[in-house]
Amino acid sequence: MFRKETRLVPIARTDEELVALSIEGDKDSFDQLIVRWERPIYALAYRVLGREEDARDVCQDTFLRAYRALPGFKGQAKFSSWLYRIALNLCRDWIRRQRRTRTVPMPEGVDLIELASEQGPVESIEDLVARRQMSATVAEAMQQLPEEQRTAIVLKEYHGLTFQEIADLQGCPLSTVKTRLYQGLSVLRRHLEYRGMTRTGSEKAS
Amino acid sequence: MNDTLHWCDDKDTLIDYLYGELDAEAKRVFEGHLRTCLACAHDVEELRAVRTELAGWQPPEAALGFTAEAVRAAAPQPPTAAQTATVLQPPQWAFAQVPVWARAAAAVLVIGAGLGLANLQVQYGPAGLQVSTGWMTPAAAPARGAAAANASAAGWRPELAALEADLRREMQTLRTSTSTTAPEPAVASVAARAGGDEQAILRRVQSLIQESERRQQQDLALRLRQFGSDVEMQRRADLVRLEQGFDRFQGRSGAAIAQQQRVLDLLVRASTTKVP
Repeated sequence: MFRKETRLVPIARTDEELVALSIEGDKDSFDQLIVRWERPIYALAYRVLGREEDARDVCQDTFLRAYRALPGFKGQAKFSSWLYRIALNLCRDWIRRQRRTRTVPMPEGVDLIELASEQGPVESIEDLVARRQMSATVAEAMQQLPEEQRTAIVLKEYHGLTFQEIADLQGCPLSTVKTRLYQGLSVLRRHLEYRGMTRTGSEKAS
Repeated sequence: MNDTLHWCDDKDTLIDYLYGELDAEAKRVFEGHLRTCLACAHDVEELRAVRTELAGWQPPEAALGFTAEAVRAAAPQPPTAAQTATVLQPPQWAFAQVPVWARAAAAVLVIGAGLGLANLQVQYGPAGLQVSTGWMTPAAAPARGAAAANASAAGWRPELAALEADLRREMQTLRTSTSTTAPEPAVASVAARAGGDEQAILRRVQSLIQESERRQQQDLALRLRQFGSDVEMQRRADLVRLEQGFDRFQGRSGAAIAQQQRVLDLLVRASTTKVP
């Protein structure tokens, strides 16, 4: 009973506090860190790799490595940045392996069964198909980008990292991050325009 | 003009502006440039449109919550700072992390396996309790079921034959005595003789029964072991078959999904293509 009450308290704890408790051997604290960061790490891996199954593996591996390396984490960076770094390194390894085996990653596409179960009362099946199709096209376009540009865009667009944080993670100067973002977004623009997806692209198509 | 060209080449500032990271003064100046430079204004507008499209890209909803279990399973004990810092620390035996009951079970298994390897034989016969080890007597090897049964039978068979011969002799004397003399004294003489042998026969029958029971127990143990190994083999075969089935199913459903996707692609393309 008393134990349950004490478990409720750490929700408000910072990452760094939870890390300190985890190092002391408190498994619940590390569980809380997982609950807090599992989804962002999975989303990061998914957007960088483009495949759900691999993203799950990378996500799992990220926390496993973090758990093992926890005593070495001295708080020199934010816990989230440290976690992102582990995840991105794993993604990079995965991409290298893929390149070596020469398999073309196919973005997760539209699944009708999934669509049928997702369909709510507001959104029509046509809208849903269009939205999922758009996601698939964006995913496909993202996969065409060089890994550095894709990662920079993912970290900026979906994780709200500052340019400096991205530069630290990618180990490059600040201006390189901005160049990667500009070039990556420009390539995406051409790709999406070609598919008639951006507003301006649609205007041109019509 | 030079100023305009400077801004047009400065993609860093464009990106800063796009992500709202210019301070108020720099923003004002850059917006002034955008009002006079159609190319840059178009660039900004297009990149904004790309960002809008990107915002709609969500990863599929994965049933998360798997990570905590995986971490616990792969690393049951959290590493402590002392463990990673001290290089000279003795290695942690994985056995030390196993619960006590599991250690006890493992110990029983190890002892059992050891006895099996040593081919321990315990025999109880007229010569008393005999314990022997080693593979020099192949007849008692547990894997050879029939041989084992025969070996244990070898001890009691001569005894049974002797008892049978005794009984036949008794019957014979009884029959001859009834044919020649009066029945009463014959029965009395037989009863008198039987009185002396009765104890011996009883003992012999008891030992035979015990022997038979022991043999049955051995048989039972043997059958149980065979049954266990049969079940295990069957289980493995089933698992392999199940796995193959799943693989086939996954391959088939994967192909079906790919086909559906192709059809859907065609449909969407057809519906978005305008008829001239």
